[in-house]
Amino acid sequence: MHIADGVLPTSVAAGSYAVSLALVAWSVKKTRGDDLPKVAVVTSSFFVASLIHVPLGPTSVHLLIPGLVGMLLGNSAFVSIALGLLLQSMLFQFGGITAWGANSLMMGLPALVCGWLFERTKGATLLRHVCAGAVLGGVGVTLAGIMLALLLFTSGEDFLGVAKIALIAHIPVIAIEAAVSAFTVSFLYKVKPELLKTAFQAVP
Amino acid sequence: MMNPSIHLIRLPSLWLLAVLLLLALPVYVGVRRIFIQSRSNNCSAPQRDRDWSIPAIDAAAPKQSLFHSWDPRFKVVSLLIYWFCVASIKQLPLCLVAFVIALLAVRLAKIPVRTSMKRIAALSGFIGMFLIIMPLTVPAKSGDHLLVLESFQFLKFNLRGFSLALRIGLKASAIALMMDPVLGTSPFPVTLNALARLRVPNMIVQMISLTHRYIFVFHHEAKRMATGMRARGFHKRTDMETLKTTGNYIGMLFVRSFERTERVYDAMLARGYNGQFPGVAEFRAEHKDWLKGGFWVAAGLALIASDKLFHLQLPYGL
Repeated sequence: MHIADGVLPTSVAAGSYAVSLALVAWSVKKTRGDDLPKVAVVTSSFFVASLIHVPLGPTSVHLLIPGLVGMLLGNSAFVSIALGLLLQSMLFQFGGITAWGANSLMMGLPALVCGWLFERTKGATLLRHVCAGAVLGGVGVTLAGIMLALLLFTSGEDFLGVAKIALIAHIPVIAIEAAVSAFTVSFLYKVKPELLKTAFQAVP
Repeated sequence: MMNPSIHLIRLPSLWLLAVLLLLALPVYVGVRRIFIQSRSNNCSAPQRDRDWSIPAIDAAAPKQSLFHSWDPRFKVVSLLIYWFCVASIKQLPLCLVAFVIALLAVRLAKIPVRTSMKRIAALSGFIGMFLIIMPLTVPAKSGDHLLVLESFQFLKFNLRGFSLALRIGLKASAIALMMDPVLGTSPFPVTLNALARLRVPNMIVQMISLTHRYIFVFHHEAKRMATGMRARGFHKRTDMETLKTTGNYIGMLFVRSFERTERVYDAMLARGYNGQFPGVAEFRAEHKDWLKGGFWVAAGLALIASDKLFHLQLPYGL
């Protein structure tokens, strides 16, 4: 779920804008300069993947994939997610334009965490890749849900109820996302394993 | 023991019936839609996914209006300030004023009603959730008005929470509606060019432009793959098999996009790409551009000032 306009206090909205812009700059710096156009093109495919709906009983949920983006892009994930969310806000009104900073933090920070952890836990075998993919796919959504709840809570104790329910609504998505991430990682491991070696990373 | 300064308004249970009847209409429409969808599913024409076709951001660009003739640089900056002002309003009547201003601006910019409706529809889930949850979960403070039904004492409908949700809904819609008059009234490349002139780093502007272009390409690709999956008899269900297929589907989408990325980049280099796209637009600021920009900034500041200075007492603490 993305935060709409007018929910967050102005100080939080503006502050998260500043932090997000700083993180975008950092993320761009961590990407090899020539590769930025490639990150942009790959971002489009993440954008499209996040529109895919998975049925859940009588309704359906759409994938958030912060974990997968982090696993595939590493440090470049933040700029990718920030751009994707900007375009989602402009094209679909998913997430308000004044809440863009908050939404970018909500999805981008979990992606960075997942990318970092995936780098350290993936090991060399298919089984370990799949396990890491499943756990981190779930972790990505969990962290995003917690960030959402925290951001809502900055608006005051009146928002505690909404924050709790938003958190609960993330639970089925965690399970679905963990499974889909595991299958995607296993597919990529078999079909194009070099994609799992965090592309576009700047050599320090 | 309940705080004595909380106003309890007891309603006869008949009210619940009235509200339920009011709610029944949208539920009926929703159920009908699901029913029709599942029926079309059964006759093996599975159009189960909602239509996620991506709207063109600048579809209304070739028209003429005060917004169309406005320099995009001023448009973006002044409206961004205005949006933040609207987002900080706290009083219900002023939220309503901002909403009406947005409606007028949409009218003035000749944005098709359908486009605006789509934006509001995208918001409706979020706002609807707030409208239902906030009144029931907001902690009761002194001065609050609670609606209580005689037969359901445990459900306390807090009018302050309802007002909070209503204000958020109005502000969110007011800002969402203004997106089209800003982004939709000049061709998207021109808007991006304006961003570059506003010292947004060139690389970021180019990334937005490339991402925007390739969204449509990959969406097309994703749709073709989905068609192929359906042709092989794939049906979305709530089971592991669906999740596995979806996982592979996403993996394939990534593989194709990464492979395509290399080719796209090589093609760009072959055509002389040197980290810059040639500019498409010339910008010349005129008096009227400053005037319009000044108007929106002033409007935003006026809204904030009246929010801080005047306090309208509404009945029932709304």
